Amino acid sequence: MINNKKYDVIVIGAGPSGVSSAVNCAKKGLKVLIVDLNSNSGGQIYRAPPKTYKSISKKLEENEIQKKLSEEIKKFKIETAYNHTVWQVSPGFKVNAFNETSTIQWQSKSLIIATGTYEKIIPFEGWTIPGVIGLAACTVILKAHHFIPSKKIILAGNGPLLMLVAYYVIKFGGKIDAIIDTSSKKDWIKSTFSLMTNPKNFRDGIKWVFKIFLNRIPVYSNSTIEKAFEVDEGINVKIRNLKTGKAKNIISETIAIGHGLIPSTDITRLLRAEHIYDEQKGGWIAKVDRFLRSSVNGVYLAGDGAGISGALAASDKGLLASWALLYDEKIISQKDFNQNTYKILKKLDKYEVFAKAISQLNFTPKKLIENIDNNTVICRCEDVTKSEILTAVDRGARDINQIKSWTRLGMGPCQGRTCQYAVSKIVAEYLNCEIDNLGYLTGRSPIRPVPLDKVLGDFDYEKITKVEAAPL
Amino acid sequence: MDLRISNYFDRSNKVYINVNNKKIEAYEGECLALVLFVNNIKKLRLSPKKKQNRGMFCLMGSCQECVVLIDDKKVISCNIFIKDGMKIKVGDFDK
Repeated sequence: MINNKKYDVIVIGAGPSGVSSAVNCAKKGLKVLIVDLNSNSGGQIYRAPPKTYKSISKKLEENEIQKKLSEEIKKFKIETAYNHTVWQVSPGFKVNAFNETSTIQWQSKSLIIATGTYEKIIPFEGWTIPGVIGLAACTVILKAHHFIPSKKIILAGNGPLLMLVAYYVIKFGGKIDAIIDTSSKKDWIKSTFSLMTNPKNFRDGIKWVFKIFLNRIPVYSNSTIEKAFEVDEGINVKIRNLKTGKAKNIISETIAIGHGLIPSTDITRLLRAEHIYDEQKGGWIAKVDRFLRSSVNGVYLAGDGAGISGALAASDKGLLASWALLYDEKIISQKDFNQNTYKILKKLDKYEVFAKAISQLNFTPKKLIENIDNNTVICRCEDVTKSEILTAVDRGARDINQIKSWTRLGMGPCQGRTCQYAVSKIVAEYLNCEIDNLGYLTGRSPIRPVPLDKVLGDFDYEKITKVEAAPL
Repeated sequence: MDLRISNYFDRSNKVYINVNNKKIEAYEGECLALVLFVNNIKKLRLSPKKKQNRGMFCLMGSCQECVVLIDDKKVISCNIFIKDGMKIKVGDFDK
């Protein structure tokens, strides 16, 4: 269905940055639409519980922050399109989305892309077994859906998410069989001073680590899951110490794994914006100026989508992008723009110190990539293994799009979101080259699978205008 | 062991869903992928080439791994809220 409703700004993503930018635009009188795949605001970090859940006396901080975001949207009467999956964005701008029943198209003069991140996961043999899930998935299970993922769990990967998930699993009565961290204890200690620049998150971190320590959870540092396979009791995991080479097997029910976050570039790649590779900021990101303008006129980036800097910085980044938009649209003066952005830029500089420390804890060691077995499926959608990727490289593929054409990786329903980072790392490691040289997957729509019946909608065959056949 | 955390929210009505002709108890509005997962229904579909079992993975609508059939239509189950009497098929439904 073409709706053709026109807006001044469409904000894609209703996380903390999307909401702050939408609110700021609405305050200045712009007609704003905010679109999100989920049923409420909050994004992933403050993901809202299902609407059927009724709050009782005890409160979880994240759920409270989400409520405030919802109230802001209501207060400024911002139009929302929740439960809408965006599957195409074209210049002009036309945003195509679908919900449970139909498809819809909106138009806007400007776009604020606040689509956040998805999880970075370095594959290992057996990561496709049902029962192996993302660490970020665990945060959603615990804090939004209010479940413990399983009776017993192994947490693996690196970075603060490991500790956060461990904290909540213990708090809610789950059992952690092991924490497997590719970083060393020294890496954590080294990052302490930088992490302290963000006292709120630092205090949370200390709280998490204490809980893990007091509950005597076995922590394997410098280690990774090398292989996992199904057994009667659950999943058998082979842990490998990347420094000493020692191995150990543990059996658990569920494995949660994550190695940090990757900025979502689906829409900026579709719009052919320029992108740059920045390992610290999470990999390929849309190139932006200091005020988060992309290389495409009228397209702004807010939140972690323009490089990882965390939840606390997200709402400020949303504000910054919206000030740039308001200035470009001549709604505020140069003086107002300078005044409003000056303080935000200073604050963001401070958050960068913290973000850098986090990114170092999410560092992907070379050994982790080397250690992936050749039979490991890397592209989950199309079942493409590491050896198939390397064969394509051996035969001369040097660009990730060429590897895509030859192997089908990145052609499946996820459009490479899950595997692009790992593929780039594997190939760069194999060729001993920079990831920049391999390029990134060209954006292709649909960025999410869109059911054809929804695109077609309901119609009578009789009412279709028949075109006369061309003369032979 | 019920894996639901009940310290912060009361669930809505108790309902039943039908998974491969098996009755599963849940609460209205809960996340389908997760209810299947905690009921040990983890193998949701087969991968296209190797026919490996696949299941819930990212839980945020990105990876598309948790596809199931509801009323014979393919949907990603992490984005579905449970309704009473929902008919779900998991496993080798690509035939």
